[in-house]
Amino acid sequence: MTNINGKAYAMNAITPMKPWKTPLLKLFFLVLGAVKPLQKDLKNLSFIHFARWVCIGRNAFPRLSDEQPTEELKYDYLLFISNFNGTWNQYIDAFSAVLYKGLDAIWLWSEKYPGSRPVTAFKRYISFVQFDTDYYYNAYPHSATNDVKAAIRVQSAFTKFAQTSQSLSPADFQEAWLSFQAAVSPDLGATGIAPIGT
Amino acid sequence: MTRIDVSDIQGFALRGYNFPYARYLLLELAPAKQARALLRKLLNVVTTGERWDINNKPQSTVNVAFTHKGLEQLALPLASLLSFPLEFQQGMRARSDILGDSGTNAPERWDPVWREQYVHAWLAVNARTAEALEARSREMQQFIDETGGARLLQSQDAGAIRLHGKFSTSEHFGYTDGFGNPDFKGAERDCVPGQGKLTKRGEWEALATGEFLLGYADEAGELPVSPIPHLLGRNGTFMVYRKLHQNVNTFRAYLDAKGKHYQGGKEKLAAKFVGRWRDGTPLELSPDMADPTIVADPNQNTNFTYGEDPAGIRCPLGAHIRRTHPRDAFGFNGGLVNRRRIMRRGLAYGEYVPEGQPVSDSDERGIIFMALNASIFRQFEFVQQQWIEYGNDARLGNDKDLLLGNHEGKGKFVVQGTADHANPPFICGALPNFVELRGGDYFFLPSLTALAMIATGTVDPR
Repeated sequence: MTNINGKAYAMNAITPMKPWKTPLLKLFFLVLGAVKPLQKDLKNLSFIHFARWVCIGRNAFPRLSDEQPTEELKYDYLLFISNFNGTWNQYIDAFSAVLYKGLDAIWLWSEKYPGSRPVTAFKRYISFVQFDTDYYYNAYPHSATNDVKAAIRVQSAFTKFAQTSQSLSPADFQEAWLSFQAAVSPDLGATGIAPIGT
Repeated sequence: MTRIDVSDIQGFALRGYNFPYARYLLLELAPAKQARALLRKLLNVVTTGERWDINNKPQSTVNVAFTHKGLEQLALPLASLLSFPLEFQQGMRARSDILGDSGTNAPERWDPVWREQYVHAWLAVNARTAEALEARSREMQQFIDETGGARLLQSQDAGAIRLHGKFSTSEHFGYTDGFGNPDFKGAERDCVPGQGKLTKRGEWEALATGEFLLGYADEAGELPVSPIPHLLGRNGTFMVYRKLHQNVNTFRAYLDAKGKHYQGGKEKLAAKFVGRWRDGTPLELSPDMADPTIVADPNQNTNFTYGEDPAGIRCPLGAHIRRTHPRDAFGFNGGLVNRRRIMRRGLAYGEYVPEGQPVSDSDERGIIFMALNASIFRQFEFVQQQWIEYGNDARLGNDKDLLLGNHEGKGKFVVQGTADHANPPFICGALPNFVELRGGDYFFLPSLTALAMIATGTVDPR
């Protein structure tokens, strides 16, 4: 069981909501999904792979067989799943520092949510509602998303350079090589082991 | 407007004194009874944050700080000792894995005073003249002798480097240092552009007091984690002390060798390493040449951002000052940066050797780096771990800070550039360690009130 694999961290949190609040949150998600500028801040946090929120109705839990006791749940649930690079503290600090309005709009409907600022109460809340990851597969443990995206840019620039430089004179090749190097120069960070989590 | 109680705060926490001489007395404290007697002597002479009368400025200052081991020796109640932040309780030696202090920087390689012993207290004298330094040091030694309150483990001298007969703010690699200290609310001067935090409108304002002093609201709107009782922490702060040895010969040889191949020239490459020309001119403001008029103008010399230079064409993405004070480089008007700021109080030690003269790596020479912050974990340790020994926030993968990184011969530094031959891309590989850690620890710099409580054995955790 681990929440950490290489440079990535998997976070899952489940929070209960009073059922009358769920449609309001779903309406907000509808707006959030349609109005792209509202997603801008989340997407600009480059160390986040993705963040997903899902409403799970109290009647949506499966009853797998007749032997499973019937349950009558009083709450709907909000499931939050996110993968990111960096430490748990860094992630929550960033959420609280720059995404607090959006987060509050999403989690406000959950029971006992303290707000994302001040951050200490928010961290305490997350640590209560977080569920550890049972199994976590990571195809590139030595790479952060920034590293992968940079590698894709370098690869496509290189392919293009290879195609366009075949018939250049030595002098032109030198110039084209310089331009290629300049274009990829922001994307040459090394991959490797992440600093230890704190 | 935030008001802070300057008469209760140690002056060192509020300002760099800008005195050219300093001596740090590293002490092992005697058992509590004698050690408290020494502190009671110090209480009368510790320099506070009060403004100085312009006609009667002191010739020297005295400040004192303690490691957790030191506070234990002073017999603080267990409830108080255990209420300090974990990283301070552990001390810097135990945090070496987190900080990346391995290999040549590992604790086993530190100076004996940091490796074999436990420094309990840091007693600092800053002075205007060599005479004042000696006089004040004698007074300190007299206090120690009279009370039997401590044993001097080591005396570390530091001071401003003299260039052309005048004291300078240069360091051993030849860079002008000491520009970028954050302003915070309540400190005496107004916010200098570039020194605090960016507002949404792109202006600069002072950071919350609680980023640098305990007992005040911080940037998250809450009080920093502080020991109990409240009075023990309030108006105090935490200090990181690191003795950073500089391999000046290695640095000069490396810069010479790479500078020959870099089309922009050696001095421009030196500027690319740091983000400032060696005279201090920021690359963002003057990418092609040093400009003394910018350096001399406090409204200009730290007044810049990286938003217009996202690819590092002017100032490389990995330049030292861009990594350690990224301003707006990560977007959000610096929102991801404001709680990672540290106040630096560094001074050089060892003899300065001018460029062109033979210099050895093995001579005692470097910087006594001291950083003040309300949370060592959230501020200093984060900067050290994530921005110096790692590069993801700067989108540089595992590349480390060129100057301070623990490269062990394997590191690299990329100078971003354009197809313009005067500013081409360039890769510096096989980076050696230009700087090596020789020891240090985490200290608590108490308020005068807290110092009096400690000195009289009246810390009451309730």
